[in-house]
Parts: sequence; structure tokens; C-alpha cells
Amino acid sequence: MLQIKKTVQNKTAILSPAGRLDTLTAPEMEEAIREATATCAALILDLSELEYISSAGLRVLLAAQKALSVRGKMTVRRANETVSEIFEVTGFTDILNIEK
Amino acid sequence: MNKQITIPLTGRIDSTNAADAEQKILAQLEGVDAGASVTLDFEKLDYISSAGLRVILRLKKTWNDLTVENVSSDIYETLEMTGFTEMMTVRKAYRVVSVEGCEVIGEGFNGKVYRIDRDNVVKTYKNADALAEIMHEREVARLALILGVPTAISYDVVRVGDSYGSVFELLNAKSFSKLLAGEPDKYDFCVAEYVKMMKRIHAITVPEGKLPPIKERSLRRIERMKDTLPDGLGDKLLRMAREIPDSDRMVHGDYHTKNIVLAGDEVLLIDMDTLSVGHPIFELQHMYNAYVGYSEYDPEIVRQFQGYSPEIARRFWRDTLAGYLGAKDEKKINEVEEKVRCLSYAGLIEGIDRHSSGDREKDAATRALWESRLIELLKRTDSLTFDVTPEGESDPDALDVEATVPNLDSVVDFVNAHLDAADCPPKAKMQIDLAVEEIFVNIANYAYAPEIGRATVRVSVADDPLTVSITFIDRGVPYDPLKKSDPDVTLSAEEREIGGLGIFMTKKIMDDVIYEYKDGQNILTLSKRL
Repeated sequence: MLQIKKTVQNKTAILSPAGRLDTLTAPEMEEAIREATATCAALILDLSELEYISSAGLRVLLAAQKALSVRGKMTVRRANETVSEIFEVTGFTDILNIEK
Repeated sequence: MNKQITIPLTGRIDSTNAADAEQKILAQLEGVDAGASVTLDFEKLDYISSAGLRVILRLKKTWNDLTVENVSSDIYETLEMTGFTEMMTVRKAYRVVSVEGCEVIGEGFNGKVYRIDRDNVVKTYKNADALAEIMHEREVARLALILGVPTAISYDVVRVGDSYGSVFELLNAKSFSKLLAGEPDKYDFCVAEYVKMMKRIHAITVPEGKLPPIKERSLRRIERMKDTLPDGLGDKLLRMAREIPDSDRMVHGDYHTKNIVLAGDEVLLIDMDTLSVGHPIFELQHMYNAYVGYSEYDPEIVRQFQGYSPEIARRFWRDTLAGYLGAKDEKKINEVEEKVRCLSYAGLIEGIDRHSSGDREKDAATRALWESRLIELLKRTDSLTFDVTPEGESDPDALDVEATVPNLDSVVDFVNAHLDAADCPPKAKMQIDLAVEEIFVNIANYAYAPEIGRATVRVSVADDPLTVSITFIDRGVPYDPLKKSDPDVTLSAEEREIGGLGIFMTKKIMDDVIYEYKDGQNILTLSKRL
């Protein structure tokens, strides 16, 4: 189960996914990112409510990062310990702009 | 149905004789409707140039339903290069195999099986529609293999005389009939393996619509013979048969010792054309006939058919039935046997009414015996239903599911229930979930693609130190995920490839990941200390 809250502040889209970002929910996240970045070039992912992320979720983040690095900016903030560890293990800490 | 016409082409067709050849073909097609199916038989054609190909294109303009068959590999190459294979149906020539002087290793109702060399056998078919039957059997065998039945799949279709055959690789294969006839010390082995295979098939759930329901076949037979029985017993039989619950579990449909073979040290099921779904009573119905019912009047029939004595046949039937039911109690075995025999005799009577053996007197005596026994049984039988628990259902630590992505949630829930029971800390649970997802999704996406197969997930928890092990078993293409090299996690986003991360994370998170390919199964075991 994944719930995605969307807000826009100063032309920056903020997406707050809550729950599990896995193979089954990754398409929803992908769609939400696509929608948000259609109008905003800056995207913030607030992961404070994200409990779980699998490689399917990482793929979505990587694709978004690739797309936005050309024409905007993606920032990731407030990931919990489990999710942060996954970023660490997979080298995503170096790929993503992670706000401390 | 439209008209079907076949025209053989011979020799060479090039620019010097193309016009001539075209006239000859057109002469044969005179008056043939444009909607007809026209087949050009290339069997005796040695060469065709572009002038000849243009002739075929012109024919295709008038007769759109045009097929080219028996195409040699040389000509096939030309047709493929010029795009003809996409414009019309082109069938390659079948390799010709001679079975003259070859050892007959099996004989069934529809044909014979010959050994053509040390490793290969060819199964031939008597009927005119052999090709359709071969294709059907190949398809069913493929499905069975995907669903987890160890079987031999034909790798080639060949011409044998005027008909067709399918070629199988069967190393040193010996049917259980041969084993029982020639190696009495293998009796217990045969009983055990036969029961094991039967339980294994009956535990397989078949996706809807893939195999026909065997109950329909039995009901049709009963409908045809029921009015020959006295006192409304026929209607009683039909009612009881209808009340047998439907099932989506697999049955073989002709499960006897000629159709199960020992190849090397592997036990395989063959002759898959009768594969169906249904209640096990219908499997037992045909089994009883193969060992006992069919030869009840003349016990020597079983010797001719199976190669062993009527005594062995009867004993094998009783022992495998007991093994299958898991019953030692004679009473329980007899009870099921009586229900089975009701269906068996009905099928036999319907069969002998349609196909006489040629000996009318013997047929009549045989029929009378079956009928009297059926009547006795029907008088004291009130239901044909009985319960069997197929293997695999009883194990609370194993989950057998269709390997599809939407089933991910049930797999994760199943694993989590075990983790919760073991008081697994939340963080470790998340990590194990992650590994489970990566592995299961991999199986769902690749193991059987483009088909759908099944996977088994087994969870075990061991104490001291507290360790959780999760085993994934599938029968898809052999694939060792550990052989895949790790992705370079130091690359930048632009350089990073999508993929390969799942197994990498699994290895990082779990303490142990072991892969093994055994008995046609991919077995991957993940363990983590809690």
C-alpha cells in the first residue's frame, strides 16, 4: 500500500509517499512523479513516511533523477533508517541529492 | 469449409520455364474459387528463382489463402530472405526418419514407439490427423512441464512413412511395465514412485481453460450407456457422477505403468495427450481398468497389454491405491475401490458397445460380466464422492502460488506471518521482505516467460542462533542469480544502468544465499540470523 501526498510550493512540487514503494506500487509513484514534473522543474521527495523501498522503487527514483538532472532538480529528504541504509548499500546516496 | 487443393511443383522453376510452370498451375486451378485454400507442395522442387517466386506472388493475388509446404531448408532460406515467410504460410519439410528394423519399445492404441538410436525414440501415429495430434500433445506436454510435471518433450516432428512422428530424447528409458515384468525386485520402487508421481500431478492447480475437464468425458460416456441398465440404476449413476465436485487439479487421464518411465535415475510421465483437470476418482477410474477392469473376463489381456501377470496387475492396483489414499485400513480402500469401479464399468460398457473386438461371443460375455458387477455395485452405492488431500496442501510452512507479480502481496504476507511468529525485529523484517520481493518478482518476470508457472516458497525458522531461511522453488528456465555480476554502485546517475540491483541488495541484506538446480528445479535459499 502506498499513499502519495502532493503539494506545490513556489513552483516546487513536494511528493510525500507513505507506506511501501515496491514492485506493485512503483507504477503509481512513477505516474505521480511524471505528473508533478510536467508542470514543475523542481521536485522534493519527502520520505519521512516511507517504510519500505525495493529495487522497483529505486528504479523509479533513478529514472526521475536522470530526467530532472537535465532540466531541473530533484531533492530527497527525511528518509528513515531502513530506507537510508538501502540508499547506502546501493550507492544511491551518491546519486541522489539527499538533504541532511 | 472452403475447398482445399494441393498442387505439387517439381524440378527447377527459373526464368526459362516460369511462364510454362505458371500455365500448368493455372490449368489445375481452373474453376477453383478464390476463397479456396491452395497449397503448393515443394517436396519435389529443387530450385526456384525470382521468376518463379513472381509466379507465386501472382497466384497469391487471386488465391489469398495460399500455403507452401514441404520446403527444403535451401528454398526456405530464399523464401525467408525475400519476405515470403511473412506473406504466406510456409511449412518446412519434415526430416524423414525410417523405423525399419528399429526396436519397438512401446505400443499404444494410437501408434508405436520405436528406438531410433541410443538416445532417441520416435513416437508414430496411426491416424490420418497425426500432425494435429502431435501438435496438441507437444503443447500439452509443454504446459505440463511448466506446471511442474517431469515429462519428456518432443524436440522434433519428422515424417515416418506416410504419417508423422515426434522425436523424444529418452536415455535408457524403461517403462514401469517393463520393470514390473522383468525386474521383480523393483516392485516396491515402482509402487512408491508411481504413488509419488500421482500425488504430485494431483497437487498441481491448472490455470482455467488450459486443460479439459475429465468429468465431462465420463459424464458423456455414462449418458450414452445409462439406459441399458435396469431399474433406473443408470440415472442413479449419472446423478452420482454429476455430484462429484469439479476440480482444477491436474489428472493424467491414462495413468498406467506404460506411461511412466524410468530414464536414467529420473522418473518421467509420458503420453500427455489425455491430460485433464478433475477429481482424482476419474484418474482411478482409468487406472482400475488398465490393471483389472479391462481384463476381468479374460485375465490374459493384461499380460498382452502390460507384459506382466494378472496377479501382479491386481496387486499393483491395490498397493498403489492404498499408497495414494494413505490408508492401511482394508475397509477404507475397498470403499473407495467400489466407487471407482462404478465409473470404470460404465466406461468399459460404453466402450465395448462402440468398438467390438471382432469376437462377438466374447464381447457379449465380457459385457454381461461388467454389467452384472456394475448393477450389484450401484444397488449398494449412494455416493461417488470421497476425500483425498493432495500433497503440498498440508504443509503450513510452504506456499505454492502462481508466479505472477500480483501474487507478491500474498507471498510477503505469508513470510511476514512466520517472521511475526518468530518475534522478528521490524528492521530485519523489512530487509527480509525486500529480499523476498526481489527474488519472487524475478521468478514472476523471467522463470516461465512468456508463460505462467508456479513457485513454492518455504519458510523455516531455526533456533540458536535464531535464523530464518526462505526457499524459493520454481521449474522455470535454469537460472543462477548468483552468477550475475554485481552492478557498479559507484557510478553516477547518468552512467547507472537500471537493473541488477535486486539480487545485489538481497546478497547484502541476507547472511547466506545459496542456489542449486536439482530435478529440474531452481532452488534458491536465503537465510538471515535474527
